Amino acid sequence: MGRTACVDLPELPLQLLLRRHEEWRPLPVAVVDRDKPQGVILWVNERARSSRVLPGMRYAVALSLVGDLRAGVVSEGEIEREVDAIAQHLGSFTPDVEASRDRPGVFWLQARGIMRLFPSFEAWAARISWLLDRHGFASRVVVGFSRWGTYAAARSGNGIRVFTNAAEETQHVREVALERLGVDPSLRDALARLGIVTLGDFIELPANGVLERFGAEAHALHRKLRGDLWSPVQGEAPEEPLRSSLLLDYPEAQVPRLLLVIEQLLRPLLDTLQQGDAVLAGLQLRLRFEDRTHAEHALRPADGTRDLAQILRLVRLRLESRRLESGVEEIEVEITPARAKHEQLTLFAQRRRDLRAANRALARVRAELGDAAVMRARRREGHLPEARFSWEPLPKLEAARPRAVIVPPLVRRIRPKPLELPARPRHEPDGWLVMGPREGPVDEITGPHVVAGGWWMRALERAYYFVRTRSGRLLWIYDDRRRRRWFLHGEVE
Amino acid sequence: MNHAHAYVPLWCKSSYSFLEGASHPEELVEEAHRLGLQSLALTDRDGLYGMVRAHVKARELGLHLIVGAQISVSDGSSLLGLATNRLGYANLCRLLSAGRLRSPKGESVVEWREVCEAAPGLHALWLGGVEGAAAPEVLGELRDAFDDRLHALALRHREPEDALRERQLREDTARFGIPVAAGMEVLYHTPARRELQDVVTCIRHGVTLATAGRIIRSNAEHALRAPASFAQLYADAPDAVARTREIASRCGFTLSEIRYRYPAEHLPDGSTTSDYLRALVRQGASERYGERIPDDVVAQLERELDLIRELDYDGYFLTMWEIVQFCKRNAILCQGRGSAANSAVCFVLGITAVDPVRMGLLFERFLSKERGEPPDIDLDIDHKRREEVIQFVYEKYGRSHAAMVANFVRYRARSAIREVGKVLGLPETDLDRVARMLSHYESLSSETATSAGLVAGTEAHEHLVRLTLEIQDFPRHLSIHPGGFLLGHEPVHDLVPIENATMPGRTVVQWDKEDLEDLGLFKVDLLALGSLNVVDLSFHLVEAHWGKRLSMATLPRHDEPTFEMIRRADTVGVFQIESRAQMAMLPRLRPRNWYDLVIEVSIVRPGPITGGMVHPYLRRRHGQEPIEYPHPSLEPILRKTLGVPIFQEQVMKLAVVAADYTPGEADQLRRDMAAWRRSGRIERHRARLINRMQRKGIAPAFAERVFEQIRGFGEYGFPESHAASFSLIAYATAWLKCHYPAAFTCSLLNAQPMGFYSPATLVEDAKRAGVAVLPVDVRTSLEECTLEPHPGSRGGFAVRVGLRYVKGLRSDACQLLLDARASGAFRSFEDFAQRTHLPRQTLTRLAQAGALEGFDDSRRGALWRSLGVRDPAQPQLRLESRDTSPCFATLTDFETVGWDYEATGHSPRGHPLTALRDELSAQGLADASSVRALPDGRPVRYAGMVICRQRPGTARGVVFMTLEDESGFLNVVLWQSVYEKYRILAKTASFIGVTGKLQVESGVVHLIADSLWQPRVHVQPRRRRSRDFH
Repeated sequence: MGRTACVDLPELPLQLLLRRHEEWRPLPVAVVDRDKPQGVILWVNERARSSRVLPGMRYAVALSLVGDLRAGVVSEGEIEREVDAIAQHLGSFTPDVEASRDRPGVFWLQARGIMRLFPSFEAWAARISWLLDRHGFASRVVVGFSRWGTYAAARSGNGIRVFTNAAEETQHVREVALERLGVDPSLRDALARLGIVTLGDFIELPANGVLERFGAEAHALHRKLRGDLWSPVQGEAPEEPLRSSLLLDYPEAQVPRLLLVIEQLLRPLLDTLQQGDAVLAGLQLRLRFEDRTHAEHALRPADGTRDLAQILRLVRLRLESRRLESGVEEIEVEITPARAKHEQLTLFAQRRRDLRAANRALARVRAELGDAAVMRARRREGHLPEARFSWEPLPKLEAARPRAVIVPPLVRRIRPKPLELPARPRHEPDGWLVMGPREGPVDEITGPHVVAGGWWMRALERAYYFVRTRSGRLLWIYDDRRRRRWFLHGEVE
Repeated sequence: MNHAHAYVPLWCKSSYSFLEGASHPEELVEEAHRLGLQSLALTDRDGLYGMVRAHVKARELGLHLIVGAQISVSDGSSLLGLATNRLGYANLCRLLSAGRLRSPKGESVVEWREVCEAAPGLHALWLGGVEGAAAPEVLGELRDAFDDRLHALALRHREPEDALRERQLREDTARFGIPVAAGMEVLYHTPARRELQDVVTCIRHGVTLATAGRIIRSNAEHALRAPASFAQLYADAPDAVARTREIASRCGFTLSEIRYRYPAEHLPDGSTTSDYLRALVRQGASERYGERIPDDVVAQLERELDLIRELDYDGYFLTMWEIVQFCKRNAILCQGRGSAANSAVCFVLGITAVDPVRMGLLFERFLSKERGEPPDIDLDIDHKRREEVIQFVYEKYGRSHAAMVANFVRYRARSAIREVGKVLGLPETDLDRVARMLSHYESLSSETATSAGLVAGTEAHEHLVRLTLEIQDFPRHLSIHPGGFLLGHEPVHDLVPIENATMPGRTVVQWDKEDLEDLGLFKVDLLALGSLNVVDLSFHLVEAHWGKRLSMATLPRHDEPTFEMIRRADTVGVFQIESRAQMAMLPRLRPRNWYDLVIEVSIVRPGPITGGMVHPYLRRRHGQEPIEYPHPSLEPILRKTLGVPIFQEQVMKLAVVAADYTPGEADQLRRDMAAWRRSGRIERHRARLINRMQRKGIAPAFAERVFEQIRGFGEYGFPESHAASFSLIAYATAWLKCHYPAAFTCSLLNAQPMGFYSPATLVEDAKRAGVAVLPVDVRTSLEECTLEPHPGSRGGFAVRVGLRYVKGLRSDACQLLLDARASGAFRSFEDFAQRTHLPRQTLTRLAQAGALEGFDDSRRGALWRSLGVRDPAQPQLRLESRDTSPCFATLTDFETVGWDYEATGHSPRGHPLTALRDELSAQGLADASSVRALPDGRPVRYAGMVICRQRPGTARGVVFMTLEDESGFLNVVLWQSVYEKYRILAKTASFIGVTGKLQVESGVVHLIADSLWQPRVHVQPRRRRSRDFH
């Protein structure tokens, strides 16, 4: 009979939360779905559980049970990232690792053939436990015979457990409290009212009665626990790297010749992409030079593509923008694939939009000058002049929707960083020489316009003035009243 | 002050522009006065909510207050309306009422047409059109309507947009020849309040400070400016500054001009209200006293009637009589309380039930020519039927002449923490935890915030503590007074704007009780009193089941068993004397008659307690110290209470007699007593009172005590008349509890929610008194609790719990059940489910409550079968046959009680601790009755359910807890140090253990706690609702 193991990192989101707040460890702690008193508790630690704080409760209710209950939110993204990382670690113990989709922190491992590598299942499990502990996670490892049997045992015990036969596993599972299984809280409570508190009690209920009263999900759980549903451990298939390299016969420093080599490398990779209905989302180009130095370039087309010419154009732009000091000895290309959109797969997709061309052009600019070369300004609702807009990368150009505007007669150019001006002297016999003698004294001044705020974070107070110098420059300056300094923030043209 | 600099701020918004202004009206007035301003216009948004407070303060400081408002118009713009005279004020009130009454709660919108119609007597200030709009054509219409009473208001706040906006304003108004005045939008009295203004703005918009962006103001330039500073701001436009003074000089209206007339009665025979009242009084006196009305009563009635006629208050008394008559006609129990009980006229008209002549109560306490204040009659009404009386008043006087008095919902510490913290971006779960650490009256301190887990020393922490304190007492929104009506001879909306209340069918004025008192307006208080409902229900039950007709008037005047029960402090459910503190006092005071009850309800009040009057009274009462008077002149005042002042009017008289207060000073003292919590004004009387008493030869210690009592009386002292009225109801409820406990319990349960204790405690108390309480049963229960013959129950009847106690069971579901049962008794669960068509959820609730146990099924079995029923939407009912049902474990006794509590909030089947008693006894924990029998000083360990936590302001941090088990109550005292040490346990635990020492004094038992702990039992009793820190 096949052997299966369940690795449970109990209350993984809670472990993540406690990693964030070490000082909470001695206290009752819960993970909530949102940071509100009405937020629902998803996971709790033992301290909280012993005070009858259970998943499914509202935080406000739980707080009335335990006054010093701490709570926080752990995002799904954070959990997913950690689950992926842990699955990778577990992959070093068996090729088949399946992470539970709806119970973060639960993994099933195919334990077939392990005995050839480890002296015993206990040793294998201990090694897993040790590795996870090294990564800062508490875990339970159970080696048994069925997916749900090992899961139930893992949820109910501590450390490592190895069942020697299926009957032992079944007997153990019947004693496990339903509460430990992490079943839906409403189902858990409904069953508890009926006095059904262990898996054994639950299994004894008539299947149709469970379906009628508690719905399909409960029914499915019931069948799983009875062993009516069996499914093998389904590990994630590893992605084959789409990578190709070539050792050149002699060092090459000419870009056109290098492009030919790169084209040879790319062509079969793109064919592979086509077979898998995928497109190229990114390209890593690694070069080894004759002087034993290395260079690596990351390129990204405007959109996923298999258009070789377009890809080579980007490569050419990147290589031409860099001076090749010595000849290239070895080239490696690696493709980041992406699922192709339906439109991209359409052989004769209509090409009427100029936007694509524009985006290709921008992609070329990015390829040549880097990602930060293509930015756009976005308006913000701030009081400080510099907080009224922000720069952000322009990933894709959208169709413009211009509005008719009255062109302002003057343009105020704002400095990215205000320029500190010399302190204003007490005596100004020649007037206020705000920009030095060359621009002459200030002839006209308007203001102040006061901006004061941010007191909840970092208080500031600026008094802005427009000043006209004798030379005719119209400057926009401010008096930082807290720091007692003057700054030039912009100029009007 | 340089007169050229003088200006008048014409646009000032206070905290009564809800969540917009950041200073109280009084603060604005005080600051304006401090800055040397002569006038100030209070112009809250769409209302006059804060005007009376500003008026009182302005009158005190001699500042000219301009009455106005910012009026929101339907196109999104707004303008300011200032009242120049009484007509203008009435028009302003009407305009605001129109806007409010047509809008959802909290909003107001009027049309420009309506603004123009309201022009007479109003001065308008144009604030500019909606941004980006073309030159407003409405300016022409406004100029035609307002003529030279229209100005534009320029606004300068040192913002970059100021100049462009002002240029547009000047261009627009120049076309119509409208002059421009200088202005600014004042949102707070000093720049220090800017932060609070940001916070309230964020609360209003539901954003945090970090995300607020331009929703909050860009700087702190919205404070009142000194004249020189304002002149500098408008240095280029001195004529605009001068116009502010000119506008102010035209606004001569003050709230003192409001001349109020009470609505006159429409008399059928053409007689005057005075004649009619006199006739009613004559008739009422005959009914009260028979044909031979005692001479002193006649004299008193004549004296009162003369004064009532002189002050023109006849209509008010007739109104109250009308309302009482309506109640009588409709069998609604009602009774007057408060100072009205000092009036013989009220007594003979049936408004009150206490004979003031026989009790020697002073009419002047109720009505006095010197005081010049309208009388205040509070009428307690059966709380379930008060709405009928309210609608009667609306119907009789019309919606235009009657509106309810407002109540401002203000920030308290808990709400402030939650809202301010959210704005600061603190985790809401943390805020909830901090908020729960505080009792209702506590303020947030840095220590509390730290102990609740907020990191001390951080900026957010400091901002939270500071701003939470600052925002406390700020009005958040308008609510409705429990029962206060403003009735007017003229339409009420000419006196004060009216708006819709949240409750349908109610309209409410924009002023609260204190505002009306400050302006001397009449208020009719129709208050809901649950105990009257209990009395009424009990009377009906006694008549139905025992065949005896009872009424308040026919109850035996003196019933020894009742007083014996009261002396035992067996008073759960008895009006006024059921609280923990009252129960602790009853065995000491040992009431023997009705007047002792008057003393009892008055003595357990902060006034006598803080004044140290309780113990001297008790010692004198029991002959342990001689009855002495601090001065012979005080003997007439204090004789009734053995030389110790207990009632509010005694304290007032003390000030007059012992400290030679003039009537004016006494009146001021009374006002300051009522307001001391708000302003601390009572302190100024300290030296005056004590010095004058000492000069008269009164001992300094006594003088100090009198002052302390005056201070404590504030809002918490009872006048004798009020206590007398309450004592009548207290006695009636005690009598019912003593003689008809089943009927009394049944009525209490049906009158819930009300009173001091939860239904669980009431049921346990009834059981201990020998009354059988039967659980809810679908075969016999009605929606309300009922009485059933039961030989084992005291009085022969048991209380059957009603279906209403099944949590989540809607009234329409009850009706379905009762309708189905009317056509025949249910034979089985299947029959019940098929005939009632109740949804599955309802059936499961009934099953959990044990209401289906009568079908010979276990509770779990019934629950399983209920869960198997398809909802009525699927009419084909599919019920499994019995033999397919699995076997479920029988509920343990503990589970049975737990299910009862979960499903109905109480358990007729047992107490939660009964099933744990063996386990508790094994740990050496005795029950409450055993502990109460132990001698003084004995060390005790005890565990019980918490039913009440109190931290009276008079107890200097001491917390009192009442614990309960199956044998009764045990009172626990936690000194402040113990409370602080076990704060979280003390505040949150429902089942708690106490180690301490027993204190037994005059039969009163207290456990003085040394430590608290969580009892170790194999299961925890289900959490119960306790009455905490009220």
